[in-house]
Amino acid sequence: MGAAKGMGNFWNPYLSPASSQRRAIGVGSVASVLIIWSLLSVTGLVSPARLPAPWDVVRAFGYLAWHDGESMLFTATLWSAGRLVVAGIIVVSFGIPVGIFMGASPRINAAISPLVDPFRSAPVVALLPILVMWLGIGEAMKIAFLFTGAVVYLIPMVRDSIQAVPQSYWISARDLGATPWECIRKAVIPMAMPRITDAVIVAFSVMWTYITVAEYVNAKAGLGQLIQNARRFSAWDQVFAGIIVIVALALFTYHLMVWIKRRLYPWETQQ
Amino acid sequence: MSAQTDSSRQNGADTAISIELKDIVQEYPAQDGGVSRVVDGINLVFERPGINMLLGPSGCGKSTILHMLGGVRPMNAKTPTSGSILIDGIECDDAHDDSIMVFQRYANRPDLSVFDNVAFPFSLNLWKKRVPESDWRKRVTGMLESVGLADKKNLRPSQLSGGQNQRVALARALVLRPRILLMDEPFGALDAQTREEMQLLLIDLYKERPCLVVFVTHDVTEALVLGDRVIVLSTQPARIADDFTLDAPRPRSASWQRSDEAVQFEKRILAQLHKAPGKGSVRVSV
Repeated sequence: MGAAKGMGNFWNPYLSPASSQRRAIGVGSVASVLIIWSLLSVTGLVSPARLPAPWDVVRAFGYLAWHDGESMLFTATLWSAGRLVVAGIIVVSFGIPVGIFMGASPRINAAISPLVDPFRSAPVVALLPILVMWLGIGEAMKIAFLFTGAVVYLIPMVRDSIQAVPQSYWISARDLGATPWECIRKAVIPMAMPRITDAVIVAFSVMWTYITVAEYVNAKAGLGQLIQNARRFSAWDQVFAGIIVIVALALFTYHLMVWIKRRLYPWETQQ
Repeated sequence: MSAQTDSSRQNGADTAISIELKDIVQEYPAQDGGVSRVVDGINLVFERPGINMLLGPSGCGKSTILHMLGGVRPMNAKTPTSGSILIDGIECDDAHDDSIMVFQRYANRPDLSVFDNVAFPFSLNLWKKRVPESDWRKRVTGMLESVGLADKKNLRPSQLSGGQNQRVALARALVLRPRILLMDEPFGALDAQTREEMQLLLIDLYKERPCLVVFVTHDVTEALVLGDRVIVLSTQPARIADDFTLDAPRPRSASWQRSDEAVQFEKRILAQLHKAPGKGSVRVSV
C-alpha cells in the first residue's frame, strides 16, 4: 500500500512536496551534475581543453573577481547590467503602451501585429549586422539590439494580457457610465497588470540571453566581452565562469521581479 | 446622455419613469448559415416604480431583452434587429445612465477592497462631475451599512462568500440611485438559503428607495416572492406568454407561498410554460 501511495503522489501534478523536500531534490540534482562533471575531469575522460574542471572554473572566478587590485567581473557586470537597464527602460516605456493599444483595439492590432508577431519566431541575431550598418558599433547598436530582441516578445504578451481580461469587467464598467477608453484605463488595465508584469519579467530574461550577442561586437567592457576575450585565449575556465555569472544574474533578476510582482498584486493568487 | 443630467434625476427624487418596448425582434446569425430568432415581437410598457419579473426558461432570450434595456451591446449583431426601446419617450440605442445592471457573475474587482468596489463608479468622470467626494463617501458608507457589509469594507472580494459578493454588486448599483435597476438572474448561482436572504435584502432596499426594477429569473418561486408584476416568456423565440400583477404585501412568507393564491399563480405559470415546450428549464424551489 505504501509503495502504491508513493507512486500516487509521484504522478500527481497538483500535490507539491514540502518545500524542504523540494529544495533537497533541487540541490541533489545540481550536486549530481557537479559530481559527474568532477568525475569526468578527474578521470581525464574529457580533456581540460574541452571541459575545464569545476575547481579550475572556481579559480577562474576568483581571478576574475579580484586580481591586481581590480575586479574585472564587477566592472563587466556593471556595464552589462547598465546596458540591460537602459534597454529595459526603453523596452517597457515603448512596448507596454503599444501592447495595450493593440489589445484594446482590434483595429490597431490588425495594423501592428503583422509588423511585430513574425519577429517572435525570426532570428533576431540575424539583425545584428543590419543594426551595425545603421547605428555603427557603439553603445546605440547594443541598446538597439537588446531592445529589438526583447520588445518583440513584450508587445504580443502585453496585448494578450489585455485581451485575457474577462469581458464582464468591460461591460460592467461601461454600464456604470464609463467611456470606452475609461473602461480600458480603469477596469481592463488594472486587471491585466499581473500578466503585464509577467511580460516584463520575460523581456528581462530575454535580454540577459542576448547580452553576450550584443557585446560580441566591439565591446570594451561587459560580461559578453569578458567571455569573448577569454574564448580568444582559449581560457575555457573563464568562459565557464562568465556564463555561470550571467545565469546567476538572470536568475537573480527573475526572482527579484517575481517577488516585487507578488508584493504589488497580492490579489492575483487569491482569485 | 444630455437629457439625463438635470438635478432631480441625479438625486433620484423624481421616480416617474417610463420604458416602452415596441415590437422588439432579435435575430443572430446561426451556425448553419441561417438566422436564429431569439426574441420575437415583444411589446411591453413599464410606467411606475415596481418590481417586474421577466420569467422564462433558461436560454429563452430574457437576458437579451434586459441587455437591450441597459444599452449593453457586446454582440457584433445589431440589437435589436428591429423595433425600438423608448425611455421617457426617448429612443435608447446605446449605453445610457438611466439604468444600472446587476449580473449573475458579479463583476467585483479582485484588486479593490469592498469599499473601493462600491465606490468604483465615482472614479469615472461621469459620476465624479455629478457627486462631490464628501457626498459619495457618505453614500458608499451608508450603502455598505444597508447591505450589511460595513465591517467588511477593507476586505477583498476573494475573502467574501458568494452572497456577500452579490451584496457588493448590489451596493455598487444602488449607490448611484438609479431610476431603473436591471437584474440579470443575480441570485441564480447562490444556494437556497442565501438566495432567500438576498431576496429579503432586495425588498428592504427597494422599500427604502423604490425604483423601476426589471428582474430576470428562471425561478418561478422567486418571481412570485418578489414581483409586483410577472411577465412569463415562452422559449426561443421569446414571446410574452402571460403577464399579471401580484398584490400580496412583501415580504411574502413561506405560508403565503403555500396559500391558494400563490399555488394558483404557480400552476398558471407552469401551464403557460408547458404549452410551448422548449429545451430550457425553470426552477420551482418550494
